[in-house]
Amino acid sequence: MVMALQKRVMRFLKENYRRYLGILILIVLGSYTFVVAAGLAQNLANLVTTFTEEHRQEDLSFRTDKVIPDRGELEKAAGAVIEDYMSFDAALSDTLTLRLLSATERLNIPAVTEGRSLSGPGEILLDPAFAEANGYPVGSRIEAAGKTFTVAGYMSLPHYIYALKNVNDILSSPHEFGVGVITRASFAGLGDAERIYAVRFNDRTQSLNRQAVELRERLRAEGITVSDWIDIMNNKRARMVWASINGMKTMSVPLPAAMFLISCLIIAIMFWRMIRREAVIIGTLYAQGYRRRELTRHYMAIPLLLALGGGVFGSLLALPSIEPMVMAMVSYYNVPVPGIKLSFLNVLIGILTPILFLGLSSYLVIRSELKRSPAELMKGDQQKTKVNALERAFKLERFKFSTKFKLREQFRSISRLVFLFLGVTSASVLMLFGFTIMNSVNHVFDASDVYQFAYEYSFRDLQFGKAPEGAETFNAGKFYPENNEEMEFYITGIEPDSRLVTLTDLKGNPIPNKQTNITKPLAERMGIKAGDTVTFINKEDGKTYAFQIDAVADSYIEQFIYLPIAEFNAKMGLPEDSFMGLFSTKKLDIPDEKLSGFKAMSELPGAIDEFMGQMVSMVVMMTVVSSIVALIIIYLVTSLLIEENRNTISLFKVFGYKRREIRSLILNSSTLVIVAGFITGIPLAVASMGAVYGYLGKMINLVLPPIVSPFYVVISFVAIILTYQLSKLLCAKSVETVPMSEALKAGTE
Amino acid sequence: MFIEVSGLKKSYTTGAVKTEVLKGIDLKLGKGEIGVILGPSGSGKSTLMNIIGGVDRGDSGKIFVDETEVSRMNDDELTEYRRGDLGFVFQFYNLIPNLTVGENIEVISNISKSPMNIDEVLAAVEMQEKKHRFPRELSGGEQQRVAIARAIVKNPKLLLGDEPTGALDDQTSRGILHLLQQVNEKFGTTILMITHNAAISAMANRVFKLRSGKVVDERVNQEIVPAERIEW
Repeated sequence: MVMALQKRVMRFLKENYRRYLGILILIVLGSYTFVVAAGLAQNLANLVTTFTEEHRQEDLSFRTDKVIPDRGELEKAAGAVIEDYMSFDAALSDTLTLRLLSATERLNIPAVTEGRSLSGPGEILLDPAFAEANGYPVGSRIEAAGKTFTVAGYMSLPHYIYALKNVNDILSSPHEFGVGVITRASFAGLGDAERIYAVRFNDRTQSLNRQAVELRERLRAEGITVSDWIDIMNNKRARMVWASINGMKTMSVPLPAAMFLISCLIIAIMFWRMIRREAVIIGTLYAQGYRRRELTRHYMAIPLLLALGGGVFGSLLALPSIEPMVMAMVSYYNVPVPGIKLSFLNVLIGILTPILFLGLSSYLVIRSELKRSPAELMKGDQQKTKVNALERAFKLERFKFSTKFKLREQFRSISRLVFLFLGVTSASVLMLFGFTIMNSVNHVFDASDVYQFAYEYSFRDLQFGKAPEGAETFNAGKFYPENNEEMEFYITGIEPDSRLVTLTDLKGNPIPNKQTNITKPLAERMGIKAGDTVTFINKEDGKTYAFQIDAVADSYIEQFIYLPIAEFNAKMGLPEDSFMGLFSTKKLDIPDEKLSGFKAMSELPGAIDEFMGQMVSMVVMMTVVSSIVALIIIYLVTSLLIEENRNTISLFKVFGYKRREIRSLILNSSTLVIVAGFITGIPLAVASMGAVYGYLGKMINLVLPPIVSPFYVVISFVAIILTYQLSKLLCAKSVETVPMSEALKAGTE
Repeated sequence: MFIEVSGLKKSYTTGAVKTEVLKGIDLKLGKGEIGVILGPSGSGKSTLMNIIGGVDRGDSGKIFVDETEVSRMNDDELTEYRRGDLGFVFQFYNLIPNLTVGENIEVISNISKSPMNIDEVLAAVEMQEKKHRFPRELSGGEQQRVAIARAIVKNPKLLLGDEPTGALDDQTSRGILHLLQQVNEKFGTTILMITHNAAISAMANRVFKLRSGKVVDERVNQEIVPAERIEW
């Protein structure tokens, strides 16, 4: 019916293609981010859930001082499946360890992802990342623990999805550590292999925590002493992947929503402006008999086309990206991938959301304009002559002309000002977000200011006496606050004059080790201050212990409470000179069979480098995306500014202003808003990081400090300013093409 | 009478200032006649025309067009009235810049119940050859011809012209007025136009002089002067 009118739509798009392309990119980014993040999270969640359920992931594991005599009876009483497996750390070189685990049949069943299952002793299944990093293809041979194994295939283990050597580590490095599964018979001759019990409760409806507490009490009642009790919720090897999944899930909503909102805002502002400029035409059409709904439909066509185009393009573009991204994530974790599912619903949401958002915002704008009568509309877009409150507040008359002009340009259109400000702020937050994460992770891993030792040894049994030269003793226990067993941490007794653990207070002054100190992340999570007396439950004996906190240490290494070892032993009822581990500056000659754990601090940098490598690519991607967003927003606002000032620009030309002067007056008027938007972005980035980190803390018991480094602030600022300069460059041509006749013609009408 | 206006009043309030624009207008125009409203700036000509055309509303008084009371119509009815019976020609043409000449006319023919053939209309305004040009490629007179073609394509009963020659030179203005006269003769369209050029009144059947919101003089011309012979 209104065919001829609709021809304008394509012409509008063609005439202002750069502007609409900008909006289109924002919508594409929104839909793309949503479909990818949601698809990634759903696929990973699906893969992990299917894998852990089908391959019977344990609910907890522990070691015992003696073999459980009647396991069948205990299984019945606890309502659980209990299976033991053997574990032995074979050193392949000074820096490479392969953990050999015995194949299980009832719990933590290995999933063969390549090759075939074990058919007998002398064969091994390897975790694929380790095999790839160290060159062990299927069919090759590997020497470990004095035996030769043939690699029968690769596998995934439900309790080693993230192959961490120690359960409290944060980073895995396949160049330093890996897991292999061999038959139980292959353990013959490995005398000092450890026996670990894995437990999975049958009743999935009851609280697993409560069932775990009951099991522990039952074991205690039977006189079995347990150690290294690890609930799956606190097992980073199994839970780290969920942090990624939930991170993706969390990111799949706010990030695209922000993109859509920015697009809506700019479309709403642009259409409001466009409709105002079109007022005469609308009035004419209205006067000639066009109905409101016909005009609404006509003006809605552009935002709807953009939303549809952006939504479809972004969603379809996202689909082929999901599989490689899932595979990239899975290569970081170890989960079998039987197939990737692409969700039609996500695509539909990716397409419909921008249509809904943009459709609604432009509908409201168009309807509000069409409420005016045709006569009123035909008078055209009348310039506001009133001075608004912002202009009055700044008392512009005291400034020189150019400053006054630039400020007035911004103040005259509050909506444009707000959009530019919000746009730059959100782009800055996004950019600083990436840099802050990198900075925080860097800070956490940089343990050099706290740990002055090179090796950490943990013994199987309590040791007595003094530490050898260059070493210090420590004793530790796992604790949790009442009613929150999921939040566990270590309380460690260290030597009161320790030189290998050095803590500093919030001002950077050293804190003595002869008092009870809490590290900052733990203090923050539990709201503990210096001087507080707090009670915690010991995971081993289930008893409650009280501690008076003397100081909070400004260290993010881990969540710890440190106190003198003598005090720790006295509290726990342990012999005065007993200890469970040693910190040492040099390698000690301790037989492997005496140790339950060994950590070389030198292994950490390799893992950190690998992790930081991925981190840097992520931050670079975030910086590029936020720069694109900033570029689009600044460009859109600047082109709006030029559009609305065509008459003024034309007049300046008539008056004899030079190109440079006109450019400076028009294009530089946004500088202040951009700087203000960026500065506002800094505290917002810190606050949003705090929220994200709080969530991470709950998910994987890892606390990161939201630290914004001045260096990265400068880098982000430079990126934003470069973006601004680029957008000015793109707009400069538009300023130059405004003809002088524009002002002369306007004067005649 | 085709148009009957009686006791029409209209005022605008700007802040605390109330301006009475129309102070009780009475006016009649027969079917197929040309009416001209004369008056200086601010006399209320455009307001009167807008109210007759249903793009604005009066505060009181009655307006009948072809025996239908326009003054009682609601917004939707006014839209239907404009859509079916009215054609508008404006001083500054108000063509849609990113549509061609043909498309500008098509915009209105699309919403008409029994539109005329676009090519015929273009031929009538002698713009057939410029059908595919954009407005910016036309002179002022040509643009006004297109505006007239757009107004008559729906074959309206009433054609309202708001200073249709106000932005044109003398020669071009005569051409446009001649065209309006032809439309009137050929299609029997009633035409009401406003102008501040008294010479134009010679081509009208009825002439209304407005001053300060009142009709101060009304004249019926016994002899109609062809537009091309009007001198000013």
